[in-house]
Amino acid sequence: MGVVVGPRVIDAGASLLSVLISPVAVAAGYPSPAQDYFDGRIDLNEHLIKDVTSTYVVRVSGDSMEGAGISDGDELIVNRALEPVDGSVVVAVLDGELTIKRLRITGVGVVLQAENPAYPDIRVPSLSDLVVWGVATRCLHVV
Amino acid sequence: MSKPAVMRHMPQTAHVDVNCFYASAERAFDPSLEGRPVIVLSNNDGCAVTRSPEAKALGIAMGEPWFKLAPRAKQWGLVALSSNYELYGDISARVMELLGRYSAWLEVYSIDEAFLGVKGTPDELLALGRDMKATVRGNVGVPVCVIIAPTKTLAKLANKWAKNNPGFDGVCHWDSVPAADRESLMRRLSVIEIWGVATRLTKRLNALGIHSILDLSRADPVMIRDRFSVVMMRTVLELQGTPCIPMEEERIGRDQLIFSRSFATPITTAAGIRQVMSVYGQQASARLAKHGLQAKVLTAFAGTSHFNPKDTSYPSVRVPLPMPTADPVILTKAAHALLPRICEGIRYARAGIMVTDLRPSGNQAPLALFENPHEERHVGALLEDITRRYGRGSIGLGHGGIRGGPDWTMKRDMLSPRYTTHWDELPLVKAA
Repeated sequence: MGVVVGPRVIDAGASLLSVLISPVAVAAGYPSPAQDYFDGRIDLNEHLIKDVTSTYVVRVSGDSMEGAGISDGDELIVNRALEPVDGSVVVAVLDGELTIKRLRITGVGVVLQAENPAYPDIRVPSLSDLVVWGVATRCLHVV
Repeated sequence: MSKPAVMRHMPQTAHVDVNCFYASAERAFDPSLEGRPVIVLSNNDGCAVTRSPEAKALGIAMGEPWFKLAPRAKQWGLVALSSNYELYGDISARVMELLGRYSAWLEVYSIDEAFLGVKGTPDELLALGRDMKATVRGNVGVPVCVIIAPTKTLAKLANKWAKNNPGFDGVCHWDSVPAADRESLMRRLSVIEIWGVATRLTKRLNALGIHSILDLSRADPVMIRDRFSVVMMRTVLELQGTPCIPMEEERIGRDQLIFSRSFATPITTAAGIRQVMSVYGQQASARLAKHGLQAKVLTAFAGTSHFNPKDTSYPSVRVPLPMPTADPVILTKAAHALLPRICEGIRYARAGIMVTDLRPSGNQAPLALFENPHEERHVGALLEDITRRYGRGSIGLGHGGIRGGPDWTMKRDMLSPRYTTHWDELPLVKAA
């Protein structure tokens, strides 16, 4: 419930620095053999964020998306630049609130589905009647 | 438009600005604010500095004090918010980064506006403007207005007009606007409204029969230079469509950093001001270090409220630093030079420091003999690291380090979450 991942897990500044500055101390005359192979540490930003200008992190409140592996308190990475398609997990504006749903685009209309049988589907006449705030791309879940 | 072929590919200037920036940034994360009157208040929740169109329609004026509006807010359904600088700063950076992808030639003019160099046929430029508008709105989430004109002055001039004219739908290509419409706009606007023309000059212009912007655009540039200045001549040329004001791409180097706030409750003692100066000295140090800069000059100042015309006091002191530095101890000590000028008992409403004459650190390494001892021990970096880990105010030098002490920090009672900069304030999405 509402577990907060510390801000230091994803550190935007660290990755750049670690590329610029070799982690291996260089003593004159004894270059480390590993140095030539070091291209920087694994960078979570690079992995999780395709475009920094359009990506936001939001927090999930509620259990209606449990079936999609998205739990109460999880953080979602949302990219506003992505085109929502059938099957996308989207953040949509419903009654003035940011709401997370599975988007279904079918021949007969558009449906916002919960991934929990306790919550009913919401039918929308067409995609243009819906304000999609962004498309969720990743879920950060504490295990 | 039939234009000579050579004219079509002249470089043009795009002026892009976010509509009602602060209010729009708030709406991007709280859709319930859409369609409602929203105002954002200045420091200390003083007065309205941003008004949504709905708030303007209620007759709320720019700068109207909150205490006057508060009693009627409920009846109006008015939403008032404190300035969420963390949010606005991040949204601004996103907008600017995105705009930078459209042109190698970007000048960030203020937190919510920028100039870009663009090229193309009128149709291409209009398409480019529409794409910028749609992409900033879609990707970042805020609405912008784009004006593309031959010069910066014309682009800026047309901004308000294009914004208030729904026919443009937020994108205007100046040269494609019928000449009669352009002239009628320039005839309607007084020279006062032009970018860069000071009020005192308008009287002298009026004496020459120059009243409207159209009059000025038809003046002889050489006569204007002789009677006024080169600056004014450039304005005339720019109005005539000749670019004269170059893009400023990078301001760091001769820029300045200012740390200044109004106090929630006035400070009446030198000891109180001393504490303020200590905090700003450390903030300036941290910011300089972050940008890899050192300052040569520090200016410290304080002032009484404009609303309190008696007992005014505006002490200020300029301290040349012994060597370029970002050292918190030296900066704080320099800022304390203001203290002897503080009159005990006077109600100071604001204070601040400014560091100027900035240069990249490590450009010319001083001889070890002259290197100051605190810098060597990395006091600044240590303070910054602890602050980052344990929060602002957890550690500090001298008087700046007193936790819970300062009661002068900014009042922000109606602050929205800092959605994009703090893990514990992320926007909530409902899964229900």
